[in-house]
Amino acid sequence: MSDAPPVAPRQPAQLVEHFFRHETGRLHGALLRLLGVHNLALAEDVVQEAMLRALRTWSMGGVPPNPSAWITQVAMNLAKDHLRRQRMSAGKEAAIITHHEQTIASPAIAWETAHAIRDDALRLLFVCCHPAVAPDAQVVLALKMICGFSTAEIARAFLSSESAIEKQLTRTKQRIHEAGIAFEIPEGEDLAPRLNGVLAALYLLFNEGYKASSGDRLLREELSTEAIRLMAVLLAHPAGRTPRAHALLALMLLTAARFPSRLDEHGALLRLHDQDRSKWDRALIEQGLLHLVAAAEGDDLSEYHLQAGIAAIHCTAADYAATDWARILRHYDELYRLKPSPVVALNRAVVVAHLHGPQAGLDAISRIADRDRLESHYLLHAVTGELHWRLKDERAAAGSFRRALALAHVGPEQAYLARMLERSLDDGASLSA
Amino acid sequence: MSANQPTPPPAPFLLFFRNSGPETHAHLSPDQRQQLVTRWNAWFEGLVAEGKATEGQPLELETRLVSGPGGARITDGPFPEAKEAIGGYVKLMVRDLAEATAIARRHPGLAYGLIIEVRQMTPTCHLGVNTKPSEAGEVVVHQA
Repeated sequence: MSDAPPVAPRQPAQLVEHFFRHETGRLHGALLRLLGVHNLALAEDVVQEAMLRALRTWSMGGVPPNPSAWITQVAMNLAKDHLRRQRMSAGKEAAIITHHEQTIASPAIAWETAHAIRDDALRLLFVCCHPAVAPDAQVVLALKMICGFSTAEIARAFLSSESAIEKQLTRTKQRIHEAGIAFEIPEGEDLAPRLNGVLAALYLLFNEGYKASSGDRLLREELSTEAIRLMAVLLAHPAGRTPRAHALLALMLLTAARFPSRLDEHGALLRLHDQDRSKWDRALIEQGLLHLVAAAEGDDLSEYHLQAGIAAIHCTAADYAATDWARILRHYDELYRLKPSPVVALNRAVVVAHLHGPQAGLDAISRIADRDRLESHYLLHAVTGELHWRLKDERAAAGSFRRALALAHVGPEQAYLARMLERSLDDGASLSA
Repeated sequence: MSANQPTPPPAPFLLFFRNSGPETHAHLSPDQRQQLVTRWNAWFEGLVAEGKATEGQPLELETRLVSGPGGARITDGPFPEAKEAIGGYVKLMVRDLAEATAIARRHPGLAYGLIIEVRQMTPTCHLGVNTKPSEAGEVVVHQA
């Protein structure tokens, strides 16, 4: 239309993926450093308000060149205003406020250093994974405070209701308030047990995402992604950089690498045997193996080391037939010594079956101590069914698959077991015909 | 048929955004907020690229309402009904009210409750319409 040269529109800065989500965690860390853990609720309010301000201003005026600095400055000013109002209404905490105002008075640059961000992130992780809080509550709190998930998203991921999650968060924050937790990185002999607590919580978070798929599948996979991201936060800090942490991250990466092949195009669960290995993420496998090497430094041998070792054997086998089952069995033996749980024993029995045949597998299952604790778990019956089927005992196989099916909760698992049951019934029928 | 008729010069319109305050978006998750910002900017930048939007800006929500002879009555906003507050505006240069309305209808914020008022600016004189294309590239970006 016009013959003037086209004017290149000035593009607003682009936000990196999950900017608001991850910025939420960074701001919570920065604000808790200034306000103290006892002001957790205030920090949350301030961050929420800053986010909404950014949303309105940036949508109508474009994203500023340094969105992180912009939002930090807004959050700091809001925190300052809140504290002033608090002081005026209550006339207390004057000393603290003076301290804060001195700290806050300096512009955003002061707390923008990479080290400060890294330290705050780790301190926040230690707050969320504090032993005063129950493990599942730790995971929910971390999702809210560090990962920036909304209550609705957490509810969707855990197949819960928003009000139930809200209630749990309120209780958790109350616990944290009562426990008088400091915003610090534990030192000396406190550090190791607290680190173990963080690792356990992140392992739980990762597994929530890995579970076949109750709840929203995409959202659940993001839980695993977040667990990996938080492991990176931990490993970025000298205090968190231990062989055990490397081992857990290796385990996560080597497991996540195989996510894309777990389900077929209809969302049905695939066994390792049937998975298309070309779908495995080579880059993640390489990263995982590097962390496994780093995990081998020192003489710590944790359950994460052994599980990561098993995952690495699967990931590096050219195909299913080439799997080194003997080495996997040695890892399971070691793992069972460290953590004698019936679930580990059941997994071990599967490996025994691979090495020595289905009858040896069934024998190993019958020898599991505390096997009754597994009776209500579908996996025991699914494995037993599979081994019976391989022994051509279709009748026993069908019986086991029926029990497994009755106990499985999740869609893809149920569909898989129904397929196995049908197979046993079909074969049984054709034999007796 | 209309080949000989000249295209009417573009006329200035204002889009006013209402119901865009914090309470409207409080329930959105961080990722939804990010999507809204991104799509909103894409809507605006697309119009700038077409030469149809010339400026846009958010407005601070703090408001003074001045009335009465000599400005005797001054009240603080925002309005009791937060929906009514104007949160920002965009200036368009388009053919007519129908085109301005069509542009407003493509706004991604409508899904979250945004209300857009479309108004033509009255030309001060019949030649006073500014069509200089260089102005099309000037986007006012608000910085706090």
